[in-house]
Amino acid sequence: MSENGIRLLPLDDDSWRLEAYLRQGGYEAARKVLTSMAPREVVGEVCAAVLRGRGGAGFPAGMKWSFVPQGGTGPKYLCVNADEGEPGTFKDRLVLRRAPHALLEGMLITAFAVGIRTAFIYVRGEYARVSERLVEAIAEARSAGYLGPRVLGTDFGLDVIVHHGAGAYICGEETALLESLEGRRGQPRVKPPFPASVGLFRSPTVINNVETLAAIPQILARGAAWFLGRGVAKDGGTRLFGVSGAVRRPGVYELPVGTPLRQIIDVHAGGPPEGRSVKAVVPGGLSAPVLRPDEIDVPMDFDSLSRSGSMLGSAGIIVIPDDTPMLDVLHVTARFYAHESCGKCAPCRIGTSWILKTVQRLRRSGGSPADLDLILGLADGIRGRTLCPFGDAAALPIRAIVTKFRDELERAVVR
Amino acid sequence: MSYTPSPAALEKIEGTIALYPESSAALLPVLHILQGEAGFISKDAEIWAAAKLGLRPVRVREALSFYTMFKRAPAGRTTLLVCRNLSCALAGADDILGLIREKLGIGPGETTPDGAITLVTAECLGHCDHAPCLQVDGVDHGPVTRETVAALIEELQAHV
Amino acid sequence: MSGTKRVELTIDGLKVQAVERTSILKAAEQAGVVIPHFCYHPALEVEGNCRMCVVEIEGLPKLEPSCSALVREGLVVRTSTERVREARKDVLAFLLAEHPLDCPICDKAGECRLQDYYDRHGLTASRMVEPRERREKKLPIGRGLILDRERCVLCTRCVRFLRQIAGTGELGVFERGLRSEVGIFEEAHVDNGYSGNLVDICPVGAITAEDFRFKTRAWFLARKPSVCPHCGRGCAVTVESVSGYPLAGGERRVYRITARENPAVNGFWICDLGRDGRRDIDEGRHARLMKAGAPVAGLSWQTALADVAAAIRTVPGPERSARIAVVLNGRLTCEELALAKGLFVAGLGLSKVYFADPTPGSADGMLLTAERLPNARGVLEAGFAPRLPALGEIAAADVLLVFGTYLSEHFAEEALARAWAGIRSKFLFSAHAGPLDRLADIVFPVAVPAEKSGTYINVDGTRQTFAQAVKPVAGVAAEGAILAGLANSLAPDAGGGDAR
Repeated sequence: MSENGIRLLPLDDDSWRLEAYLRQGGYEAARKVLTSMAPREVVGEVCAAVLRGRGGAGFPAGMKWSFVPQGGTGPKYLCVNADEGEPGTFKDRLVLRRAPHALLEGMLITAFAVGIRTAFIYVRGEYARVSERLVEAIAEARSAGYLGPRVLGTDFGLDVIVHHGAGAYICGEETALLESLEGRRGQPRVKPPFPASVGLFRSPTVINNVETLAAIPQILARGAAWFLGRGVAKDGGTRLFGVSGAVRRPGVYELPVGTPLRQIIDVHAGGPPEGRSVKAVVPGGLSAPVLRPDEIDVPMDFDSLSRSGSMLGSAGIIVIPDDTPMLDVLHVTARFYAHESCGKCAPCRIGTSWILKTVQRLRRSGGSPADLDLILGLADGIRGRTLCPFGDAAALPIRAIVTKFRDELERAVVR
Repeated sequence: MSYTPSPAALEKIEGTIALYPESSAALLPVLHILQGEAGFISKDAEIWAAAKLGLRPVRVREALSFYTMFKRAPAGRTTLLVCRNLSCALAGADDILGLIREKLGIGPGETTPDGAITLVTAECLGHCDHAPCLQVDGVDHGPVTRETVAALIEELQAHV
Repeated sequence: MSGTKRVELTIDGLKVQAVERTSILKAAEQAGVVIPHFCYHPALEVEGNCRMCVVEIEGLPKLEPSCSALVREGLVVRTSTERVREARKDVLAFLLAEHPLDCPICDKAGECRLQDYYDRHGLTASRMVEPRERREKKLPIGRGLILDRERCVLCTRCVRFLRQIAGTGELGVFERGLRSEVGIFEEAHVDNGYSGNLVDICPVGAITAEDFRFKTRAWFLARKPSVCPHCGRGCAVTVESVSGYPLAGGERRVYRITARENPAVNGFWICDLGRDGRRDIDEGRHARLMKAGAPVAGLSWQTALADVAAAIRTVPGPERSARIAVVLNGRLTCEELALAKGLFVAGLGLSKVYFADPTPGSADGMLLTAERLPNARGVLEAGFAPRLPALGEIAAADVLLVFGTYLSEHFAEEALARAWAGIRSKFLFSAHAGPLDRLADIVFPVAVPAEKSGTYINVDGTRQTFAQAVKPVAGVAAEGAILAGLANSLAPDAGGGDAR
């Protein structure tokens, strides 16, 4: 938190330590929660704020917490999804680097609300260096009594363990994350049962994204109504929008949910460089179907993007310029999903590689419109048919590129 | 031919295992520690890790072969991890990769004959606002240019 | 103890009752609605990776896998809509795109799910023009099993079976995505007593047995149920054999023993010992009456049995109990044991009735019992108090009838030879060639259990009656027929009993 809770992400790189965080009012929300609120109240507040998951799926956080059975004698776990792997997404990196204590405070409040005493932060393997500050922040928090057996002198305790992955995008899927944390291949589990009842080590588990948890202190500090008011009716707060690709000022922009996409690109990120124009925009990480220039006046909230046939996802905006062949974009996309398919279920395991092989052939030696139809057919064979959302994440973007840029692709492949 | 990690690594490993309610959950962290020491994970290391964690070796290999960051054969002293996903591709990652291939004379997945550098491609390193980007032994670099990459390679090759 | 609560749902218009927490697939099966699947197996944990069993559930937007979706009150399920059929076609198209056209040389042809489902649910032309992945096709993984990675559909039944049932977990899945492959760690081969079940459960020809490789075709096999006679469990088995075409006329061969489902005894599995029983049926059999270990031209069963009856008759009634010895075994059926009791004990008044059985082994904690005979309980039920004779007790006899070869498992050949040397008339009734052959005056070739019908009582007291599963080798007779025949010829001499 910075600016006394108004911003989630400090604009500078120097206020990540505990001292700076405390000066901004850090851990006051946690103190209030631990000393004067009941867990159910906390869940209620987060539900009222309509905090939707910031990892990609957008599931309301408070609702997810409410699925964990109350009471019970066994352990419950909190898993922080810091596996940020959605192409075009780099916001969690910045939260880990600049606001690790916001994450920790959010974890503390969440754990209290659900009755959790142990939390694992699953950090993608490639973020080992990135997470060094997080590890230090945890040590700071422990020494100062914000983590450990008796937090802020209360009976509530929380242990936090940092766990690194080893290079697998699929571990961002919550059940694959659990499998990986348990020392196995990161292959998604059949649901039901859901992690809220059978999760880590078979115990009830809450899994939340880094940014989602880092937003919790704001909600408890300033209230659900305040948070909801910053966004739109069914999607509260601000988001960390990442902008990359053909823009003058790539970076993360903390803006209200519902800010129009065009505004984020042109006003905040400076628009395309001199002499270039926008050909296509990926709005929410590579798994969000691409938008044409005439489609980017859409408000950046979950429901609006859903209605436009895409998704807010991880809010990773990638701007594709006019001089980029869409066949290349299709290739990069197909290659990503084929490489990251975990291989468990048949349609994804075979379909993603089949699509890649087809695209590679088209790039190498051309083809016919029938090949593009084949790609669409394969995407349809994957969509809605797989064990986990990875299938849709692969199929829908590929389908969107081929459909929305059909003419260009046909010209490129028919030689 | 039995394998044991160094006393320092062993201490770290035992400390790590103690953090988890089930020892098998420590597999990935333990493999990272072993790779950190030897540069890769040998068959003997797999067997050692399996015994240490109460797993069958086949379970260790299952995990080892699933995750891209684990190396199963000796690698170069330095690993160059080059992103080629969309934002980096838009910023010229293909060109950068081509330059690296040319300068090192190897392709992705290969190690230079002098054992200095292993080249690997990656799918999105989460550093898209610094595209095109790469990692040198886990340290992020970006945005890189043909010039900065050439200089980087020279520097790496000089430290033989 | 969960869910004896029942719920009612509708499957394809049928009102179906099922115990709660049952999968839709299982409930459908119980109602006679068959849903195609590869990775699901009732004894293994659900994986949900093949996506073949998807169905439409009213109210849900996506097709759901019926193997993992549980029944609920009021659910309306459709297993055969256009959407479902399209989904099945697509799954098959994906699997076949990465599957070799091996049918002409693949042992699984004719009993392969991929073939069967393609025939029933696919029949689409292939759209795959890209080269498919080339993989290892003949990887020995242990116990005579061969893995063909090109054929593997990664259903993981084999991996799950070894982890969850056999408890040995030798197989794993390596790599990721399309490069995923099943394998072992280095040389840690599959090495457990249940490895043969992997061939049964592999839905395609990815795991095959060297023992069966290229030997025949599934559609030539006559499959008949029987009960395994190699231990006290009495697992349900299927004996698969070919008589005649394409073998030479008159030839008969048992190609394999497979597991047959019996929830009360062996569930879905049999052990490798039972599978190996294929050889017991076909190998080392003698089919000719023999004297002094060699076949005799022109010797008939009638004559030979008359010799046995005559030998018995030479011993006066009151002396029989001291001078005639009989060795039986626990592989005889209940019916045969009853005949033996009636003839030897009740009829002839013999007291020297002994039992020689296969030597016990170790129980394996699953199906295989320490006792290696199928009908120990049957022996007791027939009223026998079975014990192995001392050699001296046999040597003192004038007439000896031995059923089975198992004496040679308990005594050295020379010792047996010495013991039998002084016996005037010695008759052997056995199925397999062995060291006793040359010691006997006449050797009668008998049938093996698969060639007979009868009843065994297993180690838990379960009675199991089986019918003849395979044509007997020409020239053999079942012990039952022999005992009945002897009883017939001896009836006027037997004390008591009906004159037949």
